[in-house]
Amino acid sequence: MSSYVISISPVGAIVAALVAVSIGTTLWWMLHPPASFVQKLAAEAESSLERMVGSIIVAFSPEINSSHMMALAAKLARGEKSELHAIYVIEVPYTLPPDAEMALEERAALDALGAAEALALNSDVTLRTETIKARSTKQAVLDIAKRDKANLIILGSYREGRYSGAPLGHVIEEIATDAKCDVLIGVEGKHGTLLGDSLGDPS
Amino acid sequence: MGADIFVGLGLVLAAAAGASNVAFLFAGLVYVCIGLAYTELAAAYPVAGGGQYFVLRGLGDIFGFIAGWAVLLDFTIDVTLFAWTCVDYLSQLAPGLTQSTHPWVHFGATFLLIAGLCVLNVVGVRESTAFNGFVSALDVMSESAILCLGFLFAFRPELLIHNMQFHWPSPYELMLGISYAIISFVGLESISQAAQETQRPASIIPRTSIALILTILIFALAYSNLALGMQPWHPILDAHGHPMQFWQIFPNNPDNQGKAVALLASQVPFYGAIAALYVPILGAILLLISSNSGVFGSSRIAYAMSSTNLLPSLFQRVHAKFRTPATSIIAFCSVAILELIFAALPALDPGAKAVYARFFNGEDGLTFLADLYAFGAATSYSFVFLALIALRLTDPLSPRKFKIPLNVPMRFRGLRVEFPIVGVIGFCGIFAILLFTLYTHPIGRIAGPSWLILGIVFYIVYRRRKGLPVFHSQKRDWKRSQIDILRNAGELELMDEYLANIKATDELRAKAEA
Repeated sequence: MSSYVISISPVGAIVAALVAVSIGTTLWWMLHPPASFVQKLAAEAESSLERMVGSIIVAFSPEINSSHMMALAAKLARGEKSELHAIYVIEVPYTLPPDAEMALEERAALDALGAAEALALNSDVTLRTETIKARSTKQAVLDIAKRDKANLIILGSYREGRYSGAPLGHVIEEIATDAKCDVLIGVEGKHGTLLGDSLGDPS
Repeated sequence: MGADIFVGLGLVLAAAAGASNVAFLFAGLVYVCIGLAYTELAAAYPVAGGGQYFVLRGLGDIFGFIAGWAVLLDFTIDVTLFAWTCVDYLSQLAPGLTQSTHPWVHFGATFLLIAGLCVLNVVGVRESTAFNGFVSALDVMSESAILCLGFLFAFRPELLIHNMQFHWPSPYELMLGISYAIISFVGLESISQAAQETQRPASIIPRTSIALILTILIFALAYSNLALGMQPWHPILDAHGHPMQFWQIFPNNPDNQGKAVALLASQVPFYGAIAALYVPILGAILLLISSNSGVFGSSRIAYAMSSTNLLPSLFQRVHAKFRTPATSIIAFCSVAILELIFAALPALDPGAKAVYARFFNGEDGLTFLADLYAFGAATSYSFVFLALIALRLTDPLSPRKFKIPLNVPMRFRGLRVEFPIVGVIGFCGIFAILLFTLYTHPIGRIAGPSWLILGIVFYIVYRRRKGLPVFHSQKRDWKRSQIDILRNAGELELMDEYLANIKATDELRAKAEA
């Protein structure tokens, strides 16, 4: 079958360009509606979450039991692709030199950070771990957060020891008070009494 | 919505010849007015009833029924027409399905498609949203490619001017062409149907609606101008071996009329080699999806009409096992099959052909279905314009996030209202198209009004039996209803605005009375 000679007419070329531009512009406009008030609120919350979880530090110490929060941190870090850092702070009393050997505490640190690594591995997240000896747990956590430009500090709670004047433990309260970034504190429910009371459970 | 041009293009080119682009322009301008009216109403009243709901609210029960009944005609025709043209597009690749040479095969294939859709909808098989999205995206890209490459490589402006000068139709043919052109712009009901399922419809619906209106208008005008000014890639010869222009393959050739976009795509230089293979399949899939939209559209409208006591509660009945409105689906698919039989009868039986030739100007097949489609669309759209005007006057308190431009401020029953000029222009335009349809289509003139009369008789009998007013409206709490609609749609700010409007008006009235 013979064909006509193909040639491009300037008018045809202009119309073709107009059709392409007008269809493209119209559909782009259709697919980008303005956000409603509630959508703006949601977007702001999302954006603050992104800021919050850019870099996460999970802090452990003999006074802060964060194991249950580590699982949450690993999931959060995976979902938000955050940097995850677990630290164990061993408080060295002033009666000892700063680098004194503290076998029991160091062993506890190895256990806590080992468990944290296992959790991170299960969640397919890269985790940096660090054991720090310091005079003050609070100051050590805040210093590390400042050094790493952390966006979020995650802490567990310590409620099995003696009452220290603050329901969460004074170290946790102080970190939450002085931190320059967001602090997420997880309190385990197992120490509560409300459920047992309501059911009349003597335990 | 975009599937209508796959059906309308060939019919308009056959009827309006050198003025096809003018026919599309006239119908397109009316369509813009209709689209704006639907946009305003669907954003203000995001409910599934669509046009019939607007008319019910604006004009009352009897007119709501008539508009809904006309939409039902359109949806049942929609099922048959799109299934018919789906087979036409497939016949481009499988010539054994061609209607003129194998009418029984064509009839059987169309029948099976309708029956298949009926069964699928009764059983409740869901369409994949991802698949629909993929087909829609492919359609937009393909149509844009056909037009852009067609204008780039095959468009001759002098040919367009020549055709407009020397092949200008008679006024009768132009009116016929315009009445066919309006079927390329049917589908606005789908927007209002979707409004109830859209989150924040007042914001999303206007934007989607306007974008679709513009896209379809651009496609329709571009296709018609390209078809008239197109230098085909390969020479097209008539029976005597003389070269023909592209648009000349449509008059007196229903087979070609049913697959115009596929034929045009195949004549685009270079791209046509690929387009000839996949555009018929793409067109067939799109048309099948549109046919399916007719099946669930009709059952949804019937459900909505039934819930407002315009139709018996039978149409709200849900199948115990499948949880679908099986009675509605089967009833309207049966009507669609009846329409198919009427459309195909002349090709299947020579006796019927003679009757059709005598009484219906020989209209059959595709033109039979298109006539009824145009009648149903023009009738329901005419009522929607009247409803728009009525609602602007009687319900000015409902917030309208989108409002048609060009309004005249005035006072009505003590309230400030805005009278829509575009509504009046649109009504005149669509009413003219309704008159064109009645004047130029013997089938539309007879079968269309017959459908309406049948429906009105049915309505009178039903309302009398139920003890409801026949020519007056049932009392309804529209204020409560509107609050529920806005709350369910997630338009809480608009709901607050509506409540504030009501409160302010009540206070004003109380002051005036005091």
